[in-house]
Amino acid sequence: MVVKIRLARFGRRKAPFYNIVVAQARTARNSKPIEVLGTYDPIPKPPTDGEGKPFKDIRLDSARAKYWLGVGAQPSDPAWRLLSMAGLLEPKYRSTGGK
Amino acid sequence: MGAYNKQGQLIRVVQAAREKAADSRKKEEQGGGRQQQFASNDNDNLDAKKDVEIPPETARDHAPFPMNRTFISQPVLTSALQHHIWRQIIHEGKSVREVSAEVNVEMSRVAAVVRLLEIEHEWKRIGKPLAQRYHDAVQGMLPKTDWAAPEWDAEHGEFAKREKPNHESINDLPVHAATGQQIFLPTSESRHFTRADAAKVFDKRLLPADDRVPHPELTVMHKEVLEGLSEEERRERAEARNAVAERKRAAALALQAAKEAAIKKVDTGRWEYRFTEIKVDDAGKDGRGLGATGWRYGAPLMDRSRGQHKIPRAV
Repeated sequence: MVVKIRLARFGRRKAPFYNIVVAQARTARNSKPIEVLGTYDPIPKPPTDGEGKPFKDIRLDSARAKYWLGVGAQPSDPAWRLLSMAGLLEPKYRSTGGK
Repeated sequence: MGAYNKQGQLIRVVQAAREKAADSRKKEEQGGGRQQQFASNDNDNLDAKKDVEIPPETARDHAPFPMNRTFISQPVLTSALQHHIWRQIIHEGKSVREVSAEVNVEMSRVAAVVRLLEIEHEWKRIGKPLAQRYHDAVQGMLPKTDWAAPEWDAEHGEFAKREKPNHESINDLPVHAATGQQIFLPTSESRHFTRADAAKVFDKRLLPADDRVPHPELTVMHKEVLEGLSEEERRERAEARNAVAERKRAAALALQAAKEAAIKKVDTGRWEYRFTEIKVDDAGKDGRGLGATGWRYGAPLMDRSRGQHKIPRAV
């Protein structure tokens, strides 16, 4: 069975909140995972000091994430995006738009 | 309005003119040999008024509504005093509390002055026109508190001590909602019932009045004066207190900076992603510890149950 690093959607209607989890690929989305690596809050918050860009909060145990990647856990696309931003993986897709 | 009569003349000027005319008449009568008679009292008043200086304002001149004597127009800070405050904060790097105690202006007003002057400087920088004439006209009509710049005393080789401008009372105890009620509390006569105890009676988390005033350090200084400490001792103690406060502030800043530095920030153009490091082990052996990160599994979420308040009711 494949072990995946993926997001589990929690939160409420129109207020998503994700756990970044390590789970067996075939288990249900919100079932109890092998491990919770962190969280991802996709709702941008206004900058705390009133300057700069709105930010999205991510909490991650990068050491454990590295371990799971090392033993062959396969990140889903959204998880890959977050882990590559954290510097743990090569980015899968490059953004074409923007700057 | 209260300063003017029905003819639109300043009452205090008219009064001064009348007094002056009476004085001069008395003098002339004493001198004797006066032949000319005054045509009318009014003319006399007007003539005299021209060479009367405008006397200083009194409380009556600060009541803009004649029917409401209790409404007194409060003085505003002059530009000089405002700039002095701004300079102390921005250039000298003093704290709002220090400057407030120094110029006798409330802390909130000091903060407002700095904000407004910052806006003014920004407008000047981008070339936005200022309503200077309007400002001058309004300032000319209002009672003012001025700042006297320190003057160099060459005799003693130091700045002459000037009296502080007394703008307003700066150490008023703010009214806390918890102290609004009247409580009759029986205590034993032998008990030393202090302000700290009184605060606890009102609310368990309420600080004593000595700590809730805007400038608790002034209270401490006054207490030391009453204790009869010498000026040197008081200065030493004040310096020690300042040093402790400074150390605390620096430690808090360092902690904040360390926290900030630990967060990895990734800019993607539209948003900034902030990565905070956590520890999986904080979840404990069963993965349900209090320090665990993330939405919990197998634990009911009570946020939609009856009796749960999402909006805080007290701050």
